[in-house]
Amino acid sequence: MSRRGARALGAVVGLLAVCGVAAAHGGSLRDASGQELAVPTWLFLSTGGAVVGASFLLASFVTDRELVAAIDEWRRRLPAPRRALAWAGRAVGVAGFAVVLLAGFARPDIDPLRNAAIVVVWVGWWAAFVMSTYLVGNSWPAVNPFRTLTRPLSWLLGGRDTSLSPGRAAWASTAFLLALVWVEVVSPLADEPRLLAATTVGYLALCVVGVAALGRDRWFADVDPLSRLFSMYGAVAPVQRTDDGLALRLPAMRLTDDVVTTNGGVAFVVALVWGTTYDGLVGTPAWASFARAVVDAGVPAAVLYPAALLVGFLAFHRLYWWAARSARAVAPTYTDAGVLARRFAPSLLAIGAGYHLAHYLVYALSLSPSLFGALLAPLDPPVARTLVLPSWLSAVGVAAVLLGHLLAIWVAHATAYDELPGRLQAIRSQYALTLVMVFYTMTSLWIIGQPAAEPPFL
Amino acid sequence: MTDSDIPEDAPRCSHCGEPFPTERLRALHRGLEHPDSLDDAERAAFEDAYRGEGDDIRSFRLRALAALVALYFGFLMTYAVVAV
Repeated sequence: MSRRGARALGAVVGLLAVCGVAAAHGGSLRDASGQELAVPTWLFLSTGGAVVGASFLLASFVTDRELVAAIDEWRRRLPAPRRALAWAGRAVGVAGFAVVLLAGFARPDIDPLRNAAIVVVWVGWWAAFVMSTYLVGNSWPAVNPFRTLTRPLSWLLGGRDTSLSPGRAAWASTAFLLALVWVEVVSPLADEPRLLAATTVGYLALCVVGVAALGRDRWFADVDPLSRLFSMYGAVAPVQRTDDGLALRLPAMRLTDDVVTTNGGVAFVVALVWGTTYDGLVGTPAWASFARAVVDAGVPAAVLYPAALLVGFLAFHRLYWWAARSARAVAPTYTDAGVLARRFAPSLLAIGAGYHLAHYLVYALSLSPSLFGALLAPLDPPVARTLVLPSWLSAVGVAAVLLGHLLAIWVAHATAYDELPGRLQAIRSQYALTLVMVFYTMTSLWIIGQPAAEPPFL
Repeated sequence: MTDSDIPEDAPRCSHCGEPFPTERLRALHRGLEHPDSLDDAERAAFEDAYRGEGDDIRSFRLRALAALVALYFGFLMTYAVVAV
């Protein structure tokens, strides 16, 4: 049994941690697929689901309110030169932006594994920097080159006060995020440096329009999808920004606070989780045959991809709200289902961060020589080399997925204790949410267990 | 989602007016949220509710433990049979 178990675990380790080439896509499960399983798929999936269910049962044994609150509220002040750090962040962000434009437009002939534009965006930013936002702290407000570069615009326009409500802003942000996922899936952004650089300029143009319409603070605080994405991931991190400087907290415990304050914010978290899943889903053979059948039936592929993105998002969104409403009925409580939905949504972010780490840790480390080479000589990078990594490192990937789920279960447990007066009532409010998490784990594991296929018609 | 399904006669907190499905949840809420403004009867009700909840939690723990054991041995057997 133990050997079997070890092999099953080994299969998961291998599956999750297989590093992609530089053509990896954002937040994707797709490149992690493609190995044989030692156990039948249904058993593999139900084991994954059972781990999540069992961790819920284990968490339910902790019913001491004071202990739960002490773990959530533990914090230490962290003295740091915030001004100097902010300036350093801005310099790094603008320098990275310049390298992407330079290498993308001046040297698009260099192959993607060496090209500074591709490597800085996918390895440096989307893998390594995103990891830093949930492992250390969210430095994007300082680093964000779009924010730094639109600064003169806000001086020109002066202070703006718009009447856009936070809820609508969050919905707009969700729509932008889904659009980004769609662009990322259907376009060869990881292979064509010139296109990548042009997209970066396009994003700057979008930010200029946004800042002009809504004001700089409003745009970057509420609507800009990248800023919101990083602030969501940043809530998982131990280093948090507070009114009086930086503070150190236990990882993911900020998720028990009011991280999501509007129903639009709930939609954004669901879109973040669904975006990761969708990116993996379109890389499965099942999707390929489904897409061929649908296109044969006369639906254009250009409609199919965005339609599937939207339908899947709506399905995930409905499922999550179903969980919130059943939590209200099963607990039972007269607390509004909207309040429960907003309070429990952040727990999903720990799962998202776990999957991101599992997918990108080996990828980022193995391509780091490429990144350093490209940074030292953006116009004439050295021959691409990959780092040979010790095999135990891939186990970190599986540990990350498990830890993400365990943290999510704990965060939901602690949030319920904070929100509801009854201890048993708090546990009962978690039934539906745990079911949703089990379903999501099994979906993700199914995608990971599928052999890799190129999405058709792209 | 709305307040419409909250019955008129639902127990409400005497300090903040929040409605609760049961008397026990109201008593627990008062003890946790308004500990400094309880009168003696409310304090006694809170302590009773807290103790009563403790009994229910013990029985829940037994069932949770049974579920964990069933899950563990269920998977042990399944792996022994299927994944040979």
